[in-house]
Amino acid sequence: MSARNRELLALIPVALLVTGGFTAVFIVESSKIGDLSLIYGGYFLAVCLAVHLFIRARLPYADPYLFPLCALLAAIGLVMLFRINDSLALKQASIFVAGAVLLALTILLVRDYHALERYRYLIATAGILLLLATRVPGLRAPVNGAYLNINLGPLSFQPAEVSKICIVIFLASYLHEKRELLAVAARRVAGLTIPPLKHFGPLLVVWGASMLMLFYIADVGSSVMFFGAFLALLYVATARFSYVVAGLALFFVGAVLMEHLIPHIGDRVDIWLDPWHSKAVGAGQIQQSLFAQADGGLFGQGLGESLLKLPGPFAPHCAQPFPDCGSILPAPHTDEIYAVIVSDLGVFGGAGVVAVYALIAARGLKIAVMARDGFSKLLAAGLTAVFALQAVVIIGGVVRFIPLTGVTLPFVSFGGSSVIANMILLGLLLMISNDARRPRQAPEPDQELEALPA
Amino acid sequence: MDTEPIAVALKFGFLAVLYLFLFWVAQSAFRELRRTTAPAPEATGIHPIGPGGRAAATDACLVAATGGGLEAGERFDLFGGISIGRSADADVRIEDRFASGIHARLYSRGASYYVEDMNSTNGTFLNGGRLKGEAELKDLDEIRIGGTEFRFELDVPRS
Repeated sequence: MSARNRELLALIPVALLVTGGFTAVFIVESSKIGDLSLIYGGYFLAVCLAVHLFIRARLPYADPYLFPLCALLAAIGLVMLFRINDSLALKQASIFVAGAVLLALTILLVRDYHALERYRYLIATAGILLLLATRVPGLRAPVNGAYLNINLGPLSFQPAEVSKICIVIFLASYLHEKRELLAVAARRVAGLTIPPLKHFGPLLVVWGASMLMLFYIADVGSSVMFFGAFLALLYVATARFSYVVAGLALFFVGAVLMEHLIPHIGDRVDIWLDPWHSKAVGAGQIQQSLFAQADGGLFGQGLGESLLKLPGPFAPHCAQPFPDCGSILPAPHTDEIYAVIVSDLGVFGGAGVVAVYALIAARGLKIAVMARDGFSKLLAAGLTAVFALQAVVIIGGVVRFIPLTGVTLPFVSFGGSSVIANMILLGLLLMISNDARRPRQAPEPDQELEALPA
Repeated sequence: MDTEPIAVALKFGFLAVLYLFLFWVAQSAFRELRRTTAPAPEATGIHPIGPGGRAAATDACLVAATGGGLEAGERFDLFGGISIGRSADADVRIEDRFASGIHARLYSRGASYYVEDMNSTNGTFLNGGRLKGEAELKDLDEIRIGGTEFRFELDVPRS
């Protein structure tokens, strides 16, 4: 079976999940939602099919499971959003149309992703400027003490989602060129391997700048993601575990400092250590998250059946539509969507979602192993790391494994920038895998090429 | 109509489809893993350059032939891996306006040496043919970068 037929076959379970999920939610809530809303699932499936046909035409050798796995996450997310509020599902389905268009544009415009290597400083600068834009007066709008969004009229946009891709491209291309120098030209001082500052310097500057921006805009979740991807790439490039240990040590020193210096971060740690007695604002969110997950049990309450809002007489009066107001669990459609999944589908549903992320990470690393040149390998590994870490950061936060920080659950959470940025990331991974899996042509006849001045 | 049984059936059906799908993908991933346990001979790219890289090393060298501001016959020990290019960062610095900053590199993997083009603008030529990615080096192979020529020599005693 060819890779593309395999991909099409793998989209069948996705279609089943969307259909089954929507039907289940519709049965439970038929009194409240219109028949028409069932079409939103249809929209989504049409988008999936269109993306599949596009991949078939442009990237015939791309990894067959990557896209269906991402579509599966999106399908689960869509069912959950439909169950929270049907208008959210409509919006999310339209965001997927935009995401699919951007995925196609990425593949059509970038064409050969190796070209990205040449523009690394430009790309890194763009990524950092995007982060900075959240503090520009007139564009900014702090959410829970963090500057996450750029507001452009009616559109709101989270730059961290896009700049994570920019930073990974920079790191991959820089490390590709300098990795020998970092790994071999190191001095050993007192048992510690010290890389030459000349080669390490630019890396530290860009990494430091992005970290500083993240703390300046107080987006801890993204900074953990960035830092994790940085260490992962450094390890892949140099095979020196000592760099990873040193990096982790630096990170913990930084984290403890930030906990004491920035009240908003101190509160998060406080809540994480003891949500039941913490006086910090936001302790209720993690309490409700744990209650909701406990409520799910092994197999969950059933799709659409867990308790998200108080019934009739107890419900608060709300000016805004449901998830923004009147929800027992704050932010059920973005940060806490994993808790809703566990509440509805139980530990088994939650573990299934985690397994999907694990399989995507496995596919991504497999692409890195198969890739034929260093830049592709580093780029695939970096994109996979940043994607998987995002899932770890938010799921870990919701289950109180680490302090809760507001990043979105990739492809599942409601949100334009998250879906769109991850579609671009998926597009890049598909392009790398198309290159890696393309059968080798016969070697070209030896020929002297006319030399061009370098 | 009592819809309770349908809702319960749909919930378990949802979970069943999810897990069957995961099982399928995981299974084919494992199958692929078994199929490719031996790395393809042409696999290229990143190989760890650990501390062991240096130890592998003084059994081969690069000999300058012509051009590049180098003296003909100048020898460079490979030490497990060196880079060639115009920039000051390169281990073997050549003055050649057709060379890129870091133009190519040589490194050892297992018992063999390889030459890899580092995405240079004008390419690296191995025995007259343009190098694509990387290639294994044999004794007395000729490497040309712009107008600079090198010869690869193995020092192993020939038996």
